[in-house]
Amino acid sequence: MTAQPYLSNRRLQRIRAEYFGSAGSGLLTLISLGLIIGIGWAVLNWALLRGSFTATATQAECMAKGGACWSVIAVRWRVILFGIYPYEEQWRSAIACAVVVVMTILSCLPVMWRFWRLAAVWGLGTAAFYILMRGGYFGLIPVDEQQWGGLALTLFLFVTTSVLGMPMAIGLALMRRSDLPVIARVTGIIIDTIRSLPLLSILFAFAIVLPFVLPDALTGDKLYRVIWGGALFFAAYEAEILRGGFQGISKGQEEAAKALGLPYWHRISRIVLPQAFRLALPATINQIVITFMETSLVVVVGFVELLAAGNTAYQTGEWKFAYVEVYAFISLIYFSFVFGLSRYGAYLESRMNAGQRKE
Amino acid sequence: MQVNAPAIEIRDLNKFYGTFQALKGISLTVKKGEKVVVCGPSGSGKSTMIRCINQLEEHDSGDIRVFGTLLNDNVASIDEIRREVGMVFQHFNLFPHMTVLENCTLAPILVRKSSRADAEARARHFLEKVRIPDQADKFPGQLSGGQQQRVAIARALCMQPEILLFDEPTSALDPEMIAEVLDVMTTLASDGMTMVCVTHEMGFARKVADRVIFMDKGEIVEEADPETFFTQPVNDRTRLFLSQILGH
Repeated sequence: MTAQPYLSNRRLQRIRAEYFGSAGSGLLTLISLGLIIGIGWAVLNWALLRGSFTATATQAECMAKGGACWSVIAVRWRVILFGIYPYEEQWRSAIACAVVVVMTILSCLPVMWRFWRLAAVWGLGTAAFYILMRGGYFGLIPVDEQQWGGLALTLFLFVTTSVLGMPMAIGLALMRRSDLPVIARVTGIIIDTIRSLPLLSILFAFAIVLPFVLPDALTGDKLYRVIWGGALFFAAYEAEILRGGFQGISKGQEEAAKALGLPYWHRISRIVLPQAFRLALPATINQIVITFMETSLVVVVGFVELLAAGNTAYQTGEWKFAYVEVYAFISLIYFSFVFGLSRYGAYLESRMNAGQRKE
Repeated sequence: MQVNAPAIEIRDLNKFYGTFQALKGISLTVKKGEKVVVCGPSGSGKSTMIRCINQLEEHDSGDIRVFGTLLNDNVASIDEIRREVGMVFQHFNLFPHMTVLENCTLAPILVRKSSRADAEARARHFLEKVRIPDQADKFPGQLSGGQQQRVAIARALCMQPEILLFDEPTSALDPEMIAEVLDVMTTLASDGMTMVCVTHEMGFARKVADRVIFMDKGEIVEEADPETFFTQPVNDRTRLFLSQILGH
């Protein structure tokens, strides 16, 4: 007898023991398999086998085939991706999206984790994005922030909110653990206040109330006010996540750093924060994913981000029936970004755990 | 820093935790090159005392001078003292996210402003001295307790301190690893390092110490050379402690 049949025998035995151990579990396995196959087939049938892919298909033709009418995407994809950005200029918005994606991927690479490299990527990337989107330079037609939309706006909101929010979160978390009771207490109150407000109300306050309170010079465009509001919200939650990370580090770590004569900022940046981030990583990725999803809330203050752009894409008479296809398309975009994020989180975790055992 | 001043000079040191007085008027002078072993029952204040010397604990009253520099609330003077006073902890407190070599070069590069090459050369020198030259690229979690403690000693030495404080360096170690750490400490002592060791290793005290100090309830109860301390202790509490610790 060779080794191969023996191995597959073992595998069969294990499958039998784990999935068909008793009559009940056997039945459950069969029902689940049936469901998976049934749903999988239905989706496949709807989306691909009976789907219509031509750009010219009408509702009647789609109905006749009985499946998804992807024609709506073929006809309306520019509305979904670029919102109400001027049609002739949408290539700028497309490049701007690519800039954000490249900027994000670059800053996720460990080689880039030096202050000046990150600063260069972010400085150049943000400038390129702004010039492309806003125009007014190099002969580009100016496009008001109110007209930015679709995927470019969603990505811009997400990236700026997290990049502004993270340093704010670190600041709040450090102030919260300050030795001075007044600072620690006040920071605690600020964090708790922000956390007890819904994001919607914060966005409203920043977009609509702030201009009444602050002089014009301080407020800036509504878009940037919304970003600051979102960043503050992100910072309050992330600060608490980091606080959890701080609590997981033994007191001896900071004492050892003090005993070596390291000043406060070096103790924080070299000893405390790297370890806190490692402990807080799963929750941090979670928070970043939530932030990505919550960019869709800016629709309430009048911005046409990805989801809102999708809504406008099917809400004209002829495509009203095809909303499922539009939402499926948008979901796929969200999925690919968020799935990428969570895989990156898993990679970071394994990288940080490499060679390290808990003491 | 005055070269001729005593290495450590403590006068009338008091320390409170709330209403509990952990140190009651401690006075102690340690000369340059002297090796002092501090022992006593748990809760006697011995750890608190040596942690005051590099201000991991703030004292409430009294003076601490290290090579003539008075320790007060002035952050600069605390930083200056910490550069000259190394410390080895009971639980090693190595930085788990850095390799052994990075643990040893971090402070010299950031605080002493050494070049990376100098700092690494010095780290390898001291890792050799504590007899683990081949572990430089491992992470602390991959080493045994005894090896970790020897890395911690090397890390402290890399700052080239004038004084080394040991806070129960062998208490968290398995018995078979205690000897390797004590051997390294004995080598350091014979090199002329000024050392203050809180430890219950009486064999080490007898062999290495110039002076043994016994503390109880926040006070220095007895202070003598090891020969006198172990053979003719004066105080009843010292006798009781020694009979408990040496009795089995």
